[in-house]
Amino acid sequence: MVVAIDHAASALVNCGPGTRPHALRNARLRPAGRAAAALLLAVLPFASAPALGASNKVRISNLSDAPFGTLANLGVDAIRSQNICVYADTNTNGYNVTATGTGPGGSFRLASGTRTMAFDVQWSSSTGQNSGIQLAPNVPLTGQVSAASHQSCSNGPANSASLIIILRSSAISSATAGTYNGSLTLLIGPE
Amino acid sequence: MDNARIGRLSAAAGLVAILTHGTASAATQGSLGATSSGSISIGASVPNRVQLTGLADVSFTNQDPSTPAANAQNVCVWSNTSTKGYNVTATGSGAGNAFTLASGASNVAYSVEWAGNSGQSAGTALATGAALTGLTSTATNATCSAGASSTASLIVKIPSANLQNMQAATTYTGTLTLVVAPE
Repeated sequence: MVVAIDHAASALVNCGPGTRPHALRNARLRPAGRAAAALLLAVLPFASAPALGASNKVRISNLSDAPFGTLANLGVDAIRSQNICVYADTNTNGYNVTATGTGPGGSFRLASGTRTMAFDVQWSSSTGQNSGIQLAPNVPLTGQVSAASHQSCSNGPANSASLIIILRSSAISSATAGTYNGSLTLLIGPE
Repeated sequence: MDNARIGRLSAAAGLVAILTHGTASAATQGSLGATSSGSISIGASVPNRVQLTGLADVSFTNQDPSTPAANAQNVCVWSNTSTKGYNVTATGSGAGNAFTLASGASNVAYSVEWAGNSGQSAGTALATGAALTGLTSTATNATCSAGASSTASLIVKIPSANLQNMQAATTYTGTLTLVVAPE
């Protein structure tokens, strides 16, 4: 929606779902601009509905696989950390995250045939972290706040959280040699 | 006919593209909604590893030459292979890695035996540099700090005939090296 007043215009533009509204204040419009504004007045109501409040929608993106490769040293923890984008269009930008593994009951376990190896999952609501809050399978971690200003972090912060996967040395050194695989599902909910 | 041919070519090109670029990422991204879900794949490879611990020095003191000398010790061998298998190779510090003790230019030979379980006073005789294969560990911990406290026996012997060739009140020394490898 655009509201134009004489030679100056104040505009509140909703760029569609997934982007926080931003204001264009006191933008002075030339005659051609006024014509364009008038055209926008006619078109925008059909192109995009205004968001008067938070949509309570969330999105998780920028996830990458976590290939640890061959673990040369069985005596140390193996850690893979990645920055991801969590967007939360709520009044507080709050969200919760629930992780589920592919082990029995959603446990965090990798498998090599019938053999399994446990791993830890940690979460931080800021980027660039190598440690965070320990997640338990199927249990939401609440009270998280996103700094993302775009649903896929294509504008503003490039990412907004850290996902940390840890293979503990105790698990590695007690595992039978072999290749272990599994997956981790992350569910984001608004708060 | 031409369309079918182009379709086949496109499918072949797609296959080539997949093969060229390798395995595609399995990570899935969430979409904007009331909730959003994404997933990643996690993979790790644990290589074959073994560990030998619990070794103790062997000392024969005031040995009666008429009685064979023998020392047996329990050691821990851990293997993470699917069969928990391993082999062991021993080498001495004598000429050509022979199992001999030395006192100056004087040498005395000893023998080395290995048993794949603990508490044994006799085992399979080892030849220097030759792997004894087909052994299996019962260790559940790399250093036997949990589970079985030891899993194998190392036996060192000096026969009477060799003891009788040793000079009295003289100290003979040497080193025995053991290499364990996964199977």
